[in-house]
Parts: sequence; C-alpha cells; structure tokens
Amino acid sequence: MAELTPAPPELTVTPSSEDGIPVLAVIGELDMSNATVLKTAIASAGAERGGRLVFDLSGLRFIDSAGIAVLLEAAERVGSVSVRDPAPPVRRVIEVTGLTEVLPLESHR
Amino acid sequence: LLVGLLVTAALALTSLALYNGNEDRLLKLRQRQLNLVIAATLPAVQTPLASAATLADATGGSAHSFRAFMTPDVGPGKQFVSASLWRLGAPGPTEIAFVGSPPQISSQPRELRRLFARLKQPGLLDLTGILHATRPSLGFAFSTSRRAPVFIAYAESALPANRRSKLESNSAFSDLYYVLYLGRSRSASQLLVTNASKLPLPGRKAVGVVPFGAGSFTLVVAPKGSLGGAFFRDLPWIVGLVGALISLAAALTARRLARGRQRAEQLARDLDEIASGDRARYHEQRSISQTLQHALLPDKLPELSGLQVSALYVPASAGLEVGGDWYDVVELDDTRLLLIIGDVSGHGLEAATTMALLRHAALAYAAEDARPAGILEKLALFARSREGESCFATVLCAQIGLEDRQMRFASAGHLAPLLLDGENAQFVDLTADPAIGLRRVRPQYREAVESLPNSATLIAFTDGLVERRGEVIDAGLNRLRHLATSTHEPLAQLVATLAHELTAGDRRDDTAIVGVRWQTKIMSGGWQN
Repeated sequence: MAELTPAPPELTVTPSSEDGIPVLAVIGELDMSNATVLKTAIASAGAERGGRLVFDLSGLRFIDSAGIAVLLEAAERVGSVSVRDPAPPVRRVIEVTGLTEVLPLESHR
Repeated sequence: LLVGLLVTAALALTSLALYNGNEDRLLKLRQRQLNLVIAATLPAVQTPLASAATLADATGGSAHSFRAFMTPDVGPGKQFVSASLWRLGAPGPTEIAFVGSPPQISSQPRELRRLFARLKQPGLLDLTGILHATRPSLGFAFSTSRRAPVFIAYAESALPANRRSKLESNSAFSDLYYVLYLGRSRSASQLLVTNASKLPLPGRKAVGVVPFGAGSFTLVVAPKGSLGGAFFRDLPWIVGLVGALISLAAALTARRLARGRQRAEQLARDLDEIASGDRARYHEQRSISQTLQHALLPDKLPELSGLQVSALYVPASAGLEVGGDWYDVVELDDTRLLLIIGDVSGHGLEAATTMALLRHAALAYAAEDARPAGILEKLALFARSREGESCFATVLCAQIGLEDRQMRFASAGHLAPLLLDGENAQFVDLTADPAIGLRRVRPQYREAVESLPNSATLIAFTDGLVERRGEVIDAGLNRLRHLATSTHEPLAQLVATLAHELTAGDRRDDTAIVGVRWQTKIMSGGWQN
C-alpha cells in the first residue's frame, strides 16, 4: 500500500538588504510542507506596507501552488514585490499562471 | 442532519477511542481527526446555505431564486424542514421568502433577535439555541458579508421529539452509549440526541467538544460493556468501525456520493488486509480524508447523447488531509455545457472549505450568467470580499457549445486544457489572467473562443498532473501531450491512465482531471468512441 509521509524538502531563506530594500534569497524547494518557513522570513524581513521586497529565486529549484501563494500574499501586503533571476522551472510557473504583472521578474546578473 | 450528527458522533468516537493511546503521534492523529469531524458534517449544512446567501447577494435577494435553489434540500426526510431568506435592516430582520414549513424562529422573537444580533462573522455558520415550538428543532444561519444589503440564508432541522435515536444494531459501535449536547454545557435542556434511555450515563465515560461553525457540540460516550484497553489490540474491530464510519459518511451525502460509497467499501476492504496497527491508523485517517474529499466533489456528471464526460480526483500521496482541487461539469441547457476546474492553494480543512465555497459560488454565478469571464470576475470579487487570511485559487472556466462546437473560455491563472484530435494534440491557446483572490489586481478576465474539431477530446487538469520537482513545467506538459496521443482508449480509461501514469511516485499535490469527448456518429446509427 501507500508510503508514509515523506520528509519535507530542504529550504533555506537568507535575508539581506540592498540600498535599504530587503532581499530574501530562497534556496532549495518550496512547497506546502515548508511554505511557513518563507512566510516567517517575510514577516521578519521588515518590508513596510507600500514598500519594496525582492525575492532572489536564483537558487530555488521547485515551487508549487502553495509556494506561489506565499509570494502572492507578500505582494498583497507589501506594495511592490519583484522576483530576481528565477531558474527556468520557477520562471515558467510564474509565466504560465499569468502572474508576471503581480510578481515582476528582474535580472541582476 | 440527524445522520450528520450521528456521523459526527461516530467519527468523534474513533477520536476519543484513539485518545486512550498515549503516544504523541496518536494525539496528533486524533487532533487531525477532530478537524475532519467538522469537515464531515459542516459542509453538508453550510454549503447549501452559503450558496443560497451568495445567490441572494448576486440577485439582490430574489425570492424566486432562493426558493428554486433551496427546494431540493427541504422537506420530510431531507436535510432541512424549513429554509428562509432574510434581509438585515432597521428596525429588524425582514423575511423575504421561505420553503417548507414556516420558520419556527419567527414565533420566537427573542431567539430571532439574539441570532441576528450575533451574526457578526460573515462566512461562518451560526447556530440557534434549541427551538421549542410545535416540534423541537435547531436553526442554522449564514451570511457572506457585512456590507449592506446583508442577506441571511437560514434553515431549521428537526430533532427527534424524545431526543432518542438508536445506532444501527449491526454497526461496529452499537456497544457504545453516546449523548450529544448543543454548546459546551451538559444540561438536560441542551440535549440534542442520545441512544441512552437514562441520563446521565453511568461509569467510565469520555467527553469532547466538537466545534461547529460559530458554535459547538459536546459529545459524551460510554462503553455499554467492556471496551477500553482492548481497542487497539482488537484491530479487526477498528477496521469494522472504519468501514461503518465510511459508509455512514457516504450515506450523509448519499445523493452526491453513490460512487464514493463504493470507493469507501473498497477502502474498508483494503484496510482489512493491513497487519500493522500504525499503518492501519494511517490508512484509516487517509481513507476518511479521501471519502470526505469525494463528498465535496460532484459524483454525477452530465450524460448527453453524443458526448462523454469523465473526471477523476487523485489525492496527494503525502497528505493525510483534504485538498483544494475541484471540478464541475454542468449542463446549462440543451446546447451548452459549462466546465469549471480549480485549485485552491494549500491543503487541509481551510483549503477544502474555501474550495467548497468557491465551487458553490461559481455555480450560483453561472446560473445567473454563464459567460466564463463574467463568472471569474464575480468569483474574484467574492474571494476579495472575504475577510481573514488571503486565499488564492486558479480557475479555468469553459462554456462548450454542443451544436456549434465552439468553446468560450477564460482562465484565472489556470493551465490551458489539452485538445486532442486524432494524432494531433495541442494545448489550447490561452493567456492566463491573474489568479482569484488577489486584492491589488482589478479582476478583469479575457475570453477566448476555440472551434472544436469533429471528434475532439478536451482534457482539463490541475497542476498536480504536470508539475514535478527538478524540471521545467513544459516537460510535464509535454509528457501529458505525448501520453495522451499515444493512448488509444475510451475516455474513462484515458483519464484514468493519464492520472495513474502522470501522478505516480511522490505526489505532494493533489490532482483533478476532467475529460470531454465528442463521439462521431457512424453509419449503423450507433456511437463510436
């Protein structure tokens, strides 16, 4: 019969700041099992309502709809959220779900 | 509802029995199980009222629409004995329409004032006290928002006159006494139903509070003979109990769940074969969630001449919880079909409740005006108006003309469906507009039209079917396209094959898949697949 619950995938979130704008580097795989890790990091990133927040997703290998929901929640709360250098698996998910307007992509390389 | 309460009682019995185990793991399972207890009965009461309230908002409180919508759920042997629509305003609530017997609460002004004054939390089912009029009953109320005009959908369910109801004598828990009270107190005046002839119950007993919308129930159980410690050693008994529970849960939504019951029986049989206690509990938990999920999805799809419709839901393999994927296929009239598929982000009770709300709201909006873009716009406004935690959902809405073979569709962040025509398979050309639930984006959806070939097959799906770790989503989309073109099977098997092959392995997400196929008429006059 079916397998038992697999271990959650690894995820690390490293906060930093560029010209006063908070940047969160998200590395690993983001899904419903660990989405709260990123939620907590966003809450403590200190981005004000009407402010800016950057997600550096160059090290994110996978995102599911629960992960997208966390990014959207941040976009709702903070004024302007952008997504930096997402790897193709993540970039395509944002593109096919019509979210490039809400989560604009930017390049830093 | 009585059956529903018995299911609550029955499910809670399991939880309370599991309580006897002292391992942390069991405690956690029990906690989840209590959550599922709510999920089991709450949607059955809440969703008709939530849909009726949504419909009232959409129609400005149309009495005609309300009556048409509620009539199937009201009457002897039905969920409710009375249903009514109210408008909140000064100096007090006004009754707009009722179905079934006149609402008893009308003759009890104090209870009426108390209920309507308390209706502070839109989107949460509220309960009255026990109404003692010509016959004892319990009332339920629901409103979608606090903004004027506030419409309240209200319904009453009858209680057994002497508050006595036996469990089936052949059920696995017929050797237990149960007592169900309204609220948190255990006074005789709050008694809803019991199978004991004398109260209070003597000897060893267990008490638990079951939250229900804005209110709660208190459940007391006691063994009739010896029970206690033998519970876990007696695995077949547990298996029997689960079987009974599942068939009870199935009976609760019997109208929508004929197939779910078969599945439940299969699950109960599967459980029989499991040896280890841990695994048994794991699967017990899992099968209850699956049964609930199936209770939330339609089990009857339209049957139309010349057209086949087939759908499947696959739960996440990792999850013990209910998910947020849903689908609906409904006949708008003789020539038009509406297909809706959606995915509420997240899992668990919250996602499932949001899913049930969005699903019913979408159907209510569709009854008003079946333009796909219009449905999505109203759904987006509805999701935005809900208070509390934000929720996001992707939704695809397609209106299919059976005669003109035109499909009008719009997408709220949802993946484009696959269109199969012989060896040719293409994803429908679609630019997704943003998902439902975003407050910062103006809900505006574009509609596209696609002409469907003569013997076309349309496959709509949620992301669980194509998203896999470590690859670009296009790889998953291509896998689907190749498998669909190389599988020459009748529609139901095709849908099953796609679901089975593409969701194998570690599924962290649930998946819904819907197929629609036109049959070509052949010379002999029959239909060919």
